[in-house]
Amino acid sequence: MSAAVWLVTILLLAALAHVGGNGDQEITGKTLKRNAWQQLCDGLCALVLRAAHLAFTIHRSFQAWVQNSLSQAELDVQELLQGDDTEELTEKRQHLADFLQSLPQRPEHFAVILPEANECSQGGTMAFEVDAVETLCTCALLAKVPRLTVYTRNGSLKTSFDEIAYRLRKSSMTQRVTANGRMARICLDDGKHVEYSGGDDMDVDADLCIERPLSLHVSLWSRDNGYPALARLARELASQAECGRLPSGSIDESYVATKLVDAAGHQHPDLVLLYDDLVCIPDFPPWQLQNSEVFQVGSATARSLGNAVLSAFASYANIEKRFGK
Amino acid sequence: MLQLQLQSWYAYAGLTALILAYIVGNGVYGQQLSLPLKKQCAAACTYVQGKMRLVAVRVLRQGPIPQHVGFIMDGNRRFAKKSHMETPSRGHLAGFTKLTKVLEWCNDLGIKHVSVFAFAINNFNRSTEEVGALMGIARDKLRDLAENSELVNKYGVRIRVVGLRDLLPADVRESIEYAEGRTRGNLGMTLNVCCPYSATDEISTAIQRLVEDVENGLLSAADINETALEKRLQIPGPDLDILVRTSGQIRFSNFMLWQSAKMAYIQFVDAYWPEFSFYHMARILVSWQLASRDIERRKLAGAVHDSLASSEQLRNSESSSDTCCGDRT
Repeated sequence: MSAAVWLVTILLLAALAHVGGNGDQEITGKTLKRNAWQQLCDGLCALVLRAAHLAFTIHRSFQAWVQNSLSQAELDVQELLQGDDTEELTEKRQHLADFLQSLPQRPEHFAVILPEANECSQGGTMAFEVDAVETLCTCALLAKVPRLTVYTRNGSLKTSFDEIAYRLRKSSMTQRVTANGRMARICLDDGKHVEYSGGDDMDVDADLCIERPLSLHVSLWSRDNGYPALARLARELASQAECGRLPSGSIDESYVATKLVDAAGHQHPDLVLLYDDLVCIPDFPPWQLQNSEVFQVGSATARSLGNAVLSAFASYANIEKRFGK
Repeated sequence: MLQLQLQSWYAYAGLTALILAYIVGNGVYGQQLSLPLKKQCAAACTYVQGKMRLVAVRVLRQGPIPQHVGFIMDGNRRFAKKSHMETPSRGHLAGFTKLTKVLEWCNDLGIKHVSVFAFAINNFNRSTEEVGALMGIARDKLRDLAENSELVNKYGVRIRVVGLRDLLPADVRESIEYAEGRTRGNLGMTLNVCCPYSATDEISTAIQRLVEDVENGLLSAADINETALEKRLQIPGPDLDILVRTSGQIRFSNFMLWQSAKMAYIQFVDAYWPEFSFYHMARILVSWQLASRDIERRKLAGAVHDSLASSEQLRNSESSSDTCCGDRT
């Protein structure tokens, strides 16, 4: 009996060696014609691959389910921010703000990549995006992050500019957050329009904006701020060179960097939150990614966007930046 | 009778387990132990490992295979520290050994382009000894790879070095020219070694090249678009499919930003580069295969959206120019 089992083991090993050997031949390109045995092996390999895919999918779903179950026990940041001003909630909000401000390291510029309207699980459309911007602004204000960028590839945020501006003006969430005893002031900017909200007066004129410091600068970005912007810059520089106003030799990295500094003069994002199940950057401005830490949270696994932001800030707090050293 | 049979089964299982444990233990941890048949066990382990890898490769090749994969080989120094190596350069050497293995895996898998981040421009900020050691490794290993490696001699791998070469010492530049020259005609996998490189430098150099072409009358400023800019980037080849960064860091460190932001599948692996194994690679590949259809769908949707947006822009500009003409008349 033992001898038979040994024989089976040896046969299995031989089959393994044979399949491996065939694979090797296939790689070197020596055997182009595939005989029945090889085709059978391919079929078996394809079956194994499908099984691996299935196992991987099940494993991932299980992980997501566990994550989801665990996050149910967590504090729901969204509910906390949206809730009424009861004593309990106010105290919790204060705790959250204290926690965020006590982190050893916070980003100066926080960017969030939202899934496109037709892909977000929350039912899509504008309402999700407007809610998301309001939540993100509140989190940024709580953590005293001075700069927030919200990105959607297709620019749907820019088309909802008026709705977002209106929401921020009327938002009870952001108005609760105070700076030096006064309501936080927010500047919303999509590259074409600028809108100020917060403070004691809602329609603040430009002169007043300069006098009073901003609590938060919010930019709405789309693909247009990335690759097309670089192409536009190249075109502009080439036009100058055509007129003889700019020699090509004077263009280098620092020159391009100065041309790409935005009107607000802020640095590139320190932290990018990718709020999507797919770990891909959907055409986010590439130049601006140079020093960013990337934190990905699946929109299906996080309890809410607020919780995802909280995780991202907590993760960023312990990051060591070496800049090549 | 049944009892006897069971006993023989237990004996078989126990004996097999013991033999396998001896072979694996002696083969893998043979350096620390001095047991008989050390060489044979190591050879058996390597053989079985190789065969298992080829089986796994054959299985993985039944699904879609990425065309272009990028690696940020991070964690060599921390690996050296963790392994109590004498100098960080030992870690870099271990990293190079791993690179040759990873290239073999990629070649076996049928990946056509591999880009690796070997040295960043801001790595010159490191100590003189470390930079010197790294340059020494680059000089010797590039030449060795081009001359003696099976990848080049058997599989026709082509080596290209990307980055600001002027910053490198003369002997390293010579090695680069030798490696590139020797493999120029090869038709196998292309290996882009980024040294010393930064993506922002790559983009600004592409802009400068465009402006030069306009100055030289090869192109008009109006013809400049994303495609023209992309053609002048230093790293050629198809879109980046997968970007892998080891050592658990979650940043791009200025590597292939243009290519990575175009829907490349990003994987941050929580292992130092010399610890990166075929298991990590297979896991990444399976996960990419599962995501690839979704990535393609999103790329297509993005392209459709962009073309619609540009045609709308064109229509708007046409209608505004019509109004201008109308005003003039």
